[in-house]
Amino acid sequence: MATIVSSAGGLLAMLNESHPLLKLHALSNLNNLVDNFWPEISTSVPVIESLYEDEEFDQHQRQLAALLVSKVFYYLGELNDSLSYALGAGSLFDVSEDSDYVHTLLAKAIDEYAIIKSKAAESNVESTTMDPRLEAIVERMLDKCISDGKYQQAMGIAIECRRLDKLEEAIIKSDNVHGTLSYCINVSHCFVNLREYRLEVLRLLVKVFQKLPSPDYLSICQCLMFLDEPEGVATILGKLLLSENKDDALLAFQVAFDLVENEHQAFLLNVRDRLSSPKSQATDSTQPRSTDSVSAQNESTTAPDDVQMADGNPSSNVNVPVDPLEIMYAERLNKIKGILSGETSIQLTLQFLYGHNKSDLLILKTIKQSVEMRNSVCHSATIYANAVMHAGTTVDTFLRENLDWLSRATNWAKFSATAGLGVIHRGHLQQGRSLMAPYLPQGGAGGGGSPYSEGGALYALGLIHANHGEGIKQFLRDSLRSTNVEVIQHGACLGLGLAVLGTADEDIYDDIKSVLYTDSAVAGEAAGISMGLLMVGTASEKASEMLAYAHETQHEKIIRGLALGIALTVYGREEEADTLIEQMTRDQDPILRYGGMYALALAYSGTANNKAIRQLLHFAVSDVSDDVRRTAVLALGFVLYSEPEQTPRIVSLLSESYNPHVRYGAALAVGISCAGTGLSEAISLLEPLTSDVVDFVRQGALIAMAMVMVQISEASDSRVGSFRRQLEKIILDKHEDTMSKMGAILASGILDAGGRNVTIRLLSKTKHDKITAVVGLAVFSQFWYWYPLIYFISLSFSPTAFIGLNYDLKVPKFEFLSHAKPSLFEYPKPTTVPTTTSAVKLPTAVLSTSAKAKARAKKESDQKTNAEKVAGPEASAAGSNAGKGKSSSEKEGDSMQVDSAPEKKSEPEASFEILRNPARVVPGQERFIKFLEESRYVPVKLAPSGFVLLRDLRPTEPEVLSLTDTPSTASAAGGSATGQQGSASAMAVDEEPQPPQPFEYTS
Amino acid sequence: MDPKLTVVSQLFERFKAALVRNDFDTSTNLLSQLKVLLTEFRSLPPLFEETPNAVHELTIARDIYEHAVVLSVKTEDQDAFERDFFQLKPYYTDARNRLPSSSQEYPILGLNLLRLLVQNRIAEFHTELELLSSDALENPCIKHAVELEQSFMEGAYNRVLSARQSVPHDTYVYFLDLLAKTVRDEIAGCSEKAYDYFSISDARQMLLFSSDKELLEYIKEEHPEWEIKNDFVFFQKAKESAPCKEIPSLQLINQTLSYARELERIV
Repeated sequence: MATIVSSAGGLLAMLNESHPLLKLHALSNLNNLVDNFWPEISTSVPVIESLYEDEEFDQHQRQLAALLVSKVFYYLGELNDSLSYALGAGSLFDVSEDSDYVHTLLAKAIDEYAIIKSKAAESNVESTTMDPRLEAIVERMLDKCISDGKYQQAMGIAIECRRLDKLEEAIIKSDNVHGTLSYCINVSHCFVNLREYRLEVLRLLVKVFQKLPSPDYLSICQCLMFLDEPEGVATILGKLLLSENKDDALLAFQVAFDLVENEHQAFLLNVRDRLSSPKSQATDSTQPRSTDSVSAQNESTTAPDDVQMADGNPSSNVNVPVDPLEIMYAERLNKIKGILSGETSIQLTLQFLYGHNKSDLLILKTIKQSVEMRNSVCHSATIYANAVMHAGTTVDTFLRENLDWLSRATNWAKFSATAGLGVIHRGHLQQGRSLMAPYLPQGGAGGGGSPYSEGGALYALGLIHANHGEGIKQFLRDSLRSTNVEVIQHGACLGLGLAVLGTADEDIYDDIKSVLYTDSAVAGEAAGISMGLLMVGTASEKASEMLAYAHETQHEKIIRGLALGIALTVYGREEEADTLIEQMTRDQDPILRYGGMYALALAYSGTANNKAIRQLLHFAVSDVSDDVRRTAVLALGFVLYSEPEQTPRIVSLLSESYNPHVRYGAALAVGISCAGTGLSEAISLLEPLTSDVVDFVRQGALIAMAMVMVQISEASDSRVGSFRRQLEKIILDKHEDTMSKMGAILASGILDAGGRNVTIRLLSKTKHDKITAVVGLAVFSQFWYWYPLIYFISLSFSPTAFIGLNYDLKVPKFEFLSHAKPSLFEYPKPTTVPTTTSAVKLPTAVLSTSAKAKARAKKESDQKTNAEKVAGPEASAAGSNAGKGKSSSEKEGDSMQVDSAPEKKSEPEASFEILRNPARVVPGQERFIKFLEESRYVPVKLAPSGFVLLRDLRPTEPEVLSLTDTPSTASAAGGSATGQQGSASAMAVDEEPQPPQPFEYTS
Repeated sequence: MDPKLTVVSQLFERFKAALVRNDFDTSTNLLSQLKVLLTEFRSLPPLFEETPNAVHELTIARDIYEHAVVLSVKTEDQDAFERDFFQLKPYYTDARNRLPSSSQEYPILGLNLLRLLVQNRIAEFHTELELLSSDALENPCIKHAVELEQSFMEGAYNRVLSARQSVPHDTYVYFLDLLAKTVRDEIAGCSEKAYDYFSISDARQMLLFSSDKELLEYIKEEHPEWEIKNDFVFFQKAKESAPCKEIPSLQLINQTLSYARELERIV
């Protein structure tokens, strides 16, 4: 029978013995008993402490005493004391011991170390205060983690403690270097708050990456993009392109697509410019090339077509007789330049959105009928809704069918009606300008329409070319310079800002500045925003110049525009922006404080930075101006969009505020940060707000709800259905307030945005923030003051598609699996009007258009062949294009219906679904996507959506392409085909029929 | 037999002999050596490992510590007493059911109680008492200490002083002498509060001194603040030196009243 020790009193008494051996004996035994007898020992701590401090004592004994005291303090909860004594215990403190004491103290030690390290790093002083013993403990821990194979822990600690040397060691020693690296990238984005330090970590990662035998170029390039090092990316791409292996080229294309997804225009342009042209060509084809581009430029300035975007490069290459490798490289280079400029992805997206457009015109029809004619707010809201609903699909049927109705829009409503075309044709880079041609200012001729439609058209051009304005910026600049009508200036400024987003072009800045200095309220507001768009994320000293003017001017509109512009310049700069934010938030002018809120939101967008959140919450409850408070709450949405789950919790209290402005802000904050997630908590929070007592809160809540629910099907959340019915009810209700009615109309537009094929996404798949999208939403949230800014929301739309591409960047036939019930992610069913009579109407309406279109297509198909040969009857050619497009879409629609019909009958729903490339893959569906094993193509990167390059396993077989018959493809093919044909088609496009008469405002 | 144990036994014999001879230097020295040697036995507290010689080792260790306690009493070293007693205690408590009980146990426990009494650590005294069994309380050594404490608390100081005549063990004498002094301090403290002055003879009687000289010496050493004038001892000075704090009664009353008024207003 074991004897149980009941007290440590004997041993404690022994500590007072004079003989050192006895003390040692007591200490070592106490050390074993301390876990049970610490309350008893705690009374004798002073004695033990004095043993530790006794210089005459043997080193080992002193350490033992220190360890004992440390343990007692640990039990007493005095972690600081405990840690300092544990440090005194030296090697006796065993980091590998598996006890609560050791775990706690290690955590404490690492925390302490990390704090000291980061402080030292912040103050930029070589810290001399670092306790070498502390450092030793942390290093011991790190070494242990590494030797035990716990690399993730080791990396976490190393990052936290700013020990990049150890981080590198951990990564290199780990057994799965690629896995650890990607983990590390993730960690550095999620948990490293300081931008400077994050860059350092990334730089290290790139270094490690490059040392690897088989580098993961996708990740490297992502890192490099973050570091803003276009040279690195260009070198890598160049290397991949030069490789004999086709797979490497595919990889290069994939890298390029991934980079494009992050929408960093300036960076992409830089990479593109740095890609070296083939050596032999550099000598003998510079001449033709330059002339080529010059002529193209001339063309662009003289004739209103911009087909030259593709630059006719393929044709110029043909006549250079060099070795096959060079040819191959040149060919690849062209492709990759196309990708990097964003044109390829935009084109493919356009094709996808056009081909898969499932927007429900009946909804719009209902809205139109229920809205009172005289109510211009709802009238233009309907136009906005239509634009948003068809964003990027190029389908403007509704407008064409309702020209009479449309003509009621006057003045600024006309401006936005025209601009709406830009949203609908977003990404239609080739034909954008010709589409807008009828409305554009006709330099000096004076016969043009009203300034409102001209301004709107310029704005529309900007929307079409948003973030890809290479080809259009010159034209917009000229338009801006050549006018002094403030409405046109307004449109031109906005358009220009959109087109040159983030390029920080000094000349353009000066142009806009001169508009600003005319001190006209309307033009100045747009100029302010435009400057911000131009300088997005550059944190240039222009901000102080803008701030100075904001203090100077009398116009509130200009101040507001400038405030937002200043906020845009600090986008994503985090701590760097702090001084400016401080300056703005302390300003006396509430409008500038309001800008300060936006600056906080954008500088810390997606970082979930605690400091920013705290500051915003403070302003949300303490500022005297309702505008500032509203914006402060709204800004939370931007800061938190990387962690949407957090937002509802944080703003839940604010959503019950007595102040309607705060409630409105809370609704939009949730809408912004949870956009497209369908998050249940977000919906629960918004639901009561949609029936708030104050009309504008209802408006905000409806819009926010639509943003959250975009692309969520009724099957996955039943509240989507009830929300749709609620919207319909509000729109049909005669007694509803105009404000909430407008909200409902916009909400139904957003809910079905982009032909039900886009979602609002602020983060790319690699978790980088998408500048364009964030900026788009930020400016969109300004619609409180200025309705035309609603169109900025189209910047945040990203298509939810899987688009597989082969080596030729064509879309081959490829099938893959969605391992979930089809009903979970299907399109919402087309609405039917409750009464039987109108139920009949729906099919007839659809049929008539399709029949008409078919008939027209048939009639004109032979004319088209003529047109191509003779290039004579121009009008018909383009008409045929459009007609053909329509018919094909109808066909597709039919086939879809055929597909779904039997599905409904077979009762037990299939548990999976075969999707055909290109396919709609909504965000919630991504985790169910599986690739079939026996398929002909293998994706280069296992991504469930977006652009994915496919490796052809059977290259000898003839490829079957899908999606070849849409008009956009035709024109794209025209663009990249031989020069002759290209120009022919361009001519044809040029002569596209004018949209019907009432659309031209000839008053 | 274990060689180490032999060494210890031999050393212990020498220690005992020295103790009997009252040769304290030698015995202290030997004791220290013995203690160091004892740390090498793994069967002793706090390890209590089951070694073959465990019982023997425990017994001898207990003996050694018991003698150590006695030695400390003889050398009149209270700290050493406390130290040795605490080291001895596990042998009585934790190892109780492995060893035959020791004849010295109760006298030593009683001694410890006395020590606590002398040092006026009454709380610890009662804690120790609670740990003893009811049988132990019947033991004359313990009983003696308990009775002393009761008389001490009641203020029956004469009984405390007369207890010296009936000590159950000769080692108790040392502590009882000390106790007499504790009692005298108590009396002095009380008289100081209760009286303004005393005549010398009364004071001598009260403080239980046999001669005036002893009294004067005591006053000089322990209570230099007392004044001796005309065969009287005055305590006035001591009282003045420690005035009791005044209670801020008016302020308290005012505060309470205002609270009450405000409470009424709230309702």
